[in-house]
Amino acid sequence: MGYFKDILVGGWSLVKGLEVTIKRLYRPVVTLQYPRHKIEMSPSYRGHIELRRFPDTGSHYCVACGTCMKVCPSGVIKLQGEKERALEAKRVVHYYIDFSHCSLCGLCVESCPMQTLKFSTEYELADESRWDGVIDLVKYFEESAR
Amino acid sequence: MAGFMEHVLANELGRLIVGLIVVLIFSQLNALFLVWLERKVAGHIQLRIGPKEVGPFGLLQTIVDGLKLVGKELITPKRADRILFIIAPVLVFVPVLVPFIVLPFSKSLPLNDMNVGLLVIFSFSTINVLAILIGGWGSNNKYALLGAIRSVAQNIAYEIPLLLSVLSVVLMTRTLQMSKIVEAQTSYWFFLVQPIAALTYFICATAETNRAPFDIPEAESELVAGFHTEFSGMRFGLFFLAEYTNVFVVCAVATTLFLGGWTGPFGHSFGIPGIIWFLAKTYLLVFVIMWFRWTFPRLRFDQLISFSWKVLIPLALANLIITAGVIKLI
Repeated sequence: MGYFKDILVGGWSLVKGLEVTIKRLYRPVVTLQYPRHKIEMSPSYRGHIELRRFPDTGSHYCVACGTCMKVCPSGVIKLQGEKERALEAKRVVHYYIDFSHCSLCGLCVESCPMQTLKFSTEYELADESRWDGVIDLVKYFEESAR
Repeated sequence: MAGFMEHVLANELGRLIVGLIVVLIFSQLNALFLVWLERKVAGHIQLRIGPKEVGPFGLLQTIVDGLKLVGKELITPKRADRILFIIAPVLVFVPVLVPFIVLPFSKSLPLNDMNVGLLVIFSFSTINVLAILIGGWGSNNKYALLGAIRSVAQNIAYEIPLLLSVLSVVLMTRTLQMSKIVEAQTSYWFFLVQPIAALTYFICATAETNRAPFDIPEAESELVAGFHTEFSGMRFGLFFLAEYTNVFVVCAVATTLFLGGWTGPFGHSFGIPGIIWFLAKTYLLVFVIMWFRWTFPRLRFDQLISFSWKVLIPLALANLIITAGVIKLI
């Protein structure tokens, strides 16, 4: 008796399986046609770091203190700042990261005393050379202003 | 020109040659369309949209793929058996063309309505297995050989219930002529009185064409590509064409045997010509086979063989005996 029961139960499960797939056939597709359509990235996405723009000054607050450089476990940050006049705060002039070695741990973002670092939502980072992973954040910041 | 065509068509040989050319063109177009349909069905079942870049709805995608295959180099492995390796793709394509001679597309359309039509189809479609075995053996590659061995075991196991289920229809109509079988179904289609035979035939047909869930001869996750691992370019293309033409042929035979061929339901044709009925039913069955592929996971080898020997063959045999008994009583 188990023989026929197996056939019937098995056959019924196959029919149920077919039902599942035929329903999918008429559902709207969920994929996005990538180069033509793009979605807004989630704010919690971790791209490479970037300088945060503050609405009161329209600029970043980076004073080139170097905390991020010291705290970075992979040593991928290198920055340089200069003072335009005496008694004024330092401003960053060069801020290089080597994103190809970055482990996205986020210690730089957490440790920044001016809270002027954040993760960008940049995701189209494919490049041809290992040196293309080196990004000048100051330049990136100026370009994103435009 | 019209007079010449009439003269050609009146001649038996001329009819055969014209028919062969039409069949060759049809089988290529059919395979191209089926590959496109397969990719579209797969896409939508997986909530994607499938090919769409080349041509409207991506219809020309398979033509472009075909051109690419034609342009590729034909590589013959150094240790392969050269003669068998070259013969195999040709041999796999010839038997799938022969059934078109007897397939009754409509009342007047079978190229040659032989009185052994069904026999011709099944005797030639078996050569397919030989071609796969030759291809797998000639490649001198362990994966190809394993795929070929599996294919032979599977085809032997599934040929028996296939023929048994066909036999119950033959018992009812008392003929092997395709057109007579269709004519016997003008009042009702045979899947209504022979549901077990129809189901058995369809399952076995899926296995015969090496389609999922019975695609262990080319199980890509274990055997690379099975018997056609070593074939490149158009040699692989011929295997591919043969597979899809084969799918069409088994579905056309299923239409003829169980779905009333060119007739409409219960004898009403609704003014639609027979060939449209025939093609619509056949492509519906082709769609079902594709639907199977994207629903069921692949069977393990022992499951596959035991399913045939323990379930399909006893069922088909019991069905045959009951059919014979009922016919004797009536």
